[in-house]
Amino acid sequence: MIANILRSREFILNLLVLLALALLPAVAGRFYIYILSVILVMGLLAMSLNLLAGHGGTYQFHHAAFYGVGAYTAALLITRTALPAWVGFAAGPVMAALAGLIIGGICVRLNKLYFGMLQISLGSLLWIIVLRWYGLTAGDDGIHGIPMPAFLSTSTGIYYFVLSVTTACLALMYLILKSPFGATLRAIRDNPQRCEAVGINVRRHQLAAIVIATFFAGAAGVLFVVLESSVYPDMLFWVLSLEIFIMCLLGGWFTFYGPMLGAAIMVALRTFVGSTTEYWTLILGVVLILLIFFLPEGLMGFDLRKLIRARRRRAYPSVPE
Amino acid sequence: METSVTIAGFISQLLVGLSRAMILFIVASGLSFILGVLRVPNVAHGSLYMIGAFVAHSVATAVGGSSGFWLALVAAPLAVALISLVAERLLFCHLYEREHLMLLLFTFALMLILGDLTKMTWGADYRSITAPPFLQGSVPVLGTALPRYNLFLLIIGPLVAVGLWLISTRTTFGKIARAAAVDREMVGAVGINVSWVFAMAFVLGCLLAGLGGALVAPTVSITLGMDHTIIIEAFLIVTIGGLGNIWGAMAGALIFGLTQSLGVLFLPQFAIVFPYLAVVCILSLKPTGLLKSVW
Amino acid sequence: MLQVENLHKSFDKFKAVNGAELTVNAGEMVAVIGPNGAGKTTLFNLITGQLKPDHGRILFRGEPITGLPAHAICRRGIARSFQIANIFPRLTVFRNVQVSVLSRKGLGYTLFTPAQRLVVDETHHILESVGLIDKKLYVAGALSHGDKRTLEIAIALGNEPELLVLDEPTAGMSPEETESAMVLIKRLARDQGLTILFCEHDMDVVFNVANRIMVMQHGRTIAQGPPPEVRGNLAVQEAYLGEVD
Repeated sequence: MIANILRSREFILNLLVLLALALLPAVAGRFYIYILSVILVMGLLAMSLNLLAGHGGTYQFHHAAFYGVGAYTAALLITRTALPAWVGFAAGPVMAALAGLIIGGICVRLNKLYFGMLQISLGSLLWIIVLRWYGLTAGDDGIHGIPMPAFLSTSTGIYYFVLSVTTACLALMYLILKSPFGATLRAIRDNPQRCEAVGINVRRHQLAAIVIATFFAGAAGVLFVVLESSVYPDMLFWVLSLEIFIMCLLGGWFTFYGPMLGAAIMVALRTFVGSTTEYWTLILGVVLILLIFFLPEGLMGFDLRKLIRARRRRAYPSVPE
Repeated sequence: METSVTIAGFISQLLVGLSRAMILFIVASGLSFILGVLRVPNVAHGSLYMIGAFVAHSVATAVGGSSGFWLALVAAPLAVALISLVAERLLFCHLYEREHLMLLLFTFALMLILGDLTKMTWGADYRSITAPPFLQGSVPVLGTALPRYNLFLLIIGPLVAVGLWLISTRTTFGKIARAAAVDREMVGAVGINVSWVFAMAFVLGCLLAGLGGALVAPTVSITLGMDHTIIIEAFLIVTIGGLGNIWGAMAGALIFGLTQSLGVLFLPQFAIVFPYLAVVCILSLKPTGLLKSVW
Repeated sequence: MLQVENLHKSFDKFKAVNGAELTVNAGEMVAVIGPNGAGKTTLFNLITGQLKPDHGRILFRGEPITGLPAHAICRRGIARSFQIANIFPRLTVFRNVQVSVLSRKGLGYTLFTPAQRLVVDETHHILESVGLIDKKLYVAGALSHGDKRTLEIAIALGNEPELLVLDEPTAGMSPEETESAMVLIKRLARDQGLTILFCEHDMDVVFNVANRIMVMQHGRTIAQGPPPEVRGNLAVQEAYLGEVD
């Protein structure tokens, strides 16, 4: 079937990209490896948000809070307990998912906008607690110099770890989106009332999606700790939540890789523009405004393949025979 | 651990909280007004507040003395109003037909741009100005010493509230703005230029942000980053008060200001957490806010 | 099969449904008619769970379903199509129906199997029976109005219901489309043993197709019975002065 060939072509393409990424340390310097690692972490975070926002139609307005929970869990377990590092790494996503379950459970009974606003308030509460609880989190200073296991002390080692975890998470996300759970999620995005009428418990489904998405956000948080060996309260600040939302929109939020592309753009802008001028946020603002005016569907909305497929779908006789 | 809460201490904190609430109210009311009429959360609101503070500083130090302060109090909101008018007419007004998400994004981009423009114009140093001599010192109130500037704020706040309420309910503009908030198409169909109504509403809301910034200038150190913290506080205040509701903004601001200032009496380190806790409790029990929301 | 007893529903002092009664027996096609504003759609919303009644009872196969949420009522065997085409606009026609079938089979939480492999035959079967199989890859939002209404019904069929509740299934259709829609519905009812409850404004449709008719006015049931009985009923004639098609 044509669909099969297309799928395997995508698969081969993905494999090639992965191979290229895996071979990169052989040719690129430490700086570029580091930037790529940052892109992967931010991209994973943005993609976890997009599970809910783009594919689920949920107003997940403070997703960064769960990223912060994952990161702080790992950081605190590693620095405050004698437990081995991998326990911290595993606990991060789990705690984030737990926070997602609790916060999501409180918010999910509300509709759309009110869901978003309650979540902003809960996420902000988490932020301010982390900021102020000097005893636990060292507050505004953050926690620095978090010790990492030996294999994670070189930039190459870190890069491969980040790459493998991100690839695994993305593969899982892909499977989930292609599954009946994902199809139901998209149906909920399109028409939640119809879903209820078709027997779907929309609230329960959304809560399940939130737990999954926050799990991946927590994983991204752990990867950040690995990358930077530190955490700080701004990881839970509303600005980051809005930034990852923008990454999704930039890259095209109805596509799979869109958020990753958006993350790449934002990180590249910050790094390369930021190295020439300290006013890189101004440039980002201007770029955003240009995009708003000229490209409402995000960059990947103009994916050529999709355009062709969409044309084929819409071409049908308008008058019945 | 013992907390020594005296009556005097309590009243002192109460008054401090009320004064702070007034500034929060002025900023939040502008945000609420824009939200009510244009249905978009103005993320750049905090930036305009910050610019108001910086402009007030420049004018006050340039002119100097008492008159410098009063001039700043007039110039800052006007400067901010001008900036918002330019942004609105040039860019914002073309987006009204688009999805709300685009409007939100635009205000976020505006926040980024204004933030850097502020850095360019004034640099990253901390600044401060002092209140004019007339407003320095304190008066004895209810057994405690209330700083004169706080008393000033306690007068200005309700004045602004009443002024806004009058504009909103007694002027033609206010009535049209409220109608446009509920049904934009109908208002347009009746032949009113809705675009200008939105522009005026936006400018009025931003002017309030600038006023808030100018008023807060003598009481805090003026820094970059003021924009990020004030906007989340203002936004939470607006949501617990009821979207688009001016008196709701007052109620929310009072709750926010008082929970923090009274919280200092019990848990000084975590005082700032209490307002956020209060917001969570209120929204969990009444998601649409305490007072009626325009939406 | 379905029993509605003394149902009441008000919206802010407006009594939309004021003591409605309805009986639907297995295998029947029952029509609910009444002037505009009589409360037909509200009644349907109460039966299928989009709204909760203030008083009264609804029994399905002898068991009370009053006030249950919509998804629970659907799981009991009642499926619904809506007056305004209520489909999933961004999904393909195939996916629209498949989501319904997946829900029916309880597969909505399956995480790691590709959706396109599951319940394909069942979905194709439904699409064939309503005549949309050729358009299965079309984006649902781009369909014609008549096709969207047919898709509505197809989605409802995905739930393998025993009782199919159709809210004005031929609204906005031309005479030919109405004819083919009713032929389709009758055929489906016969082939799949469905019980059908529908409301309509088109009197030709109603009197040709329905086994029993219930007439509503001002939220109350003013008559219930086979077509000849209802046609002869004086109260019904009064209510319909000027309304007859």
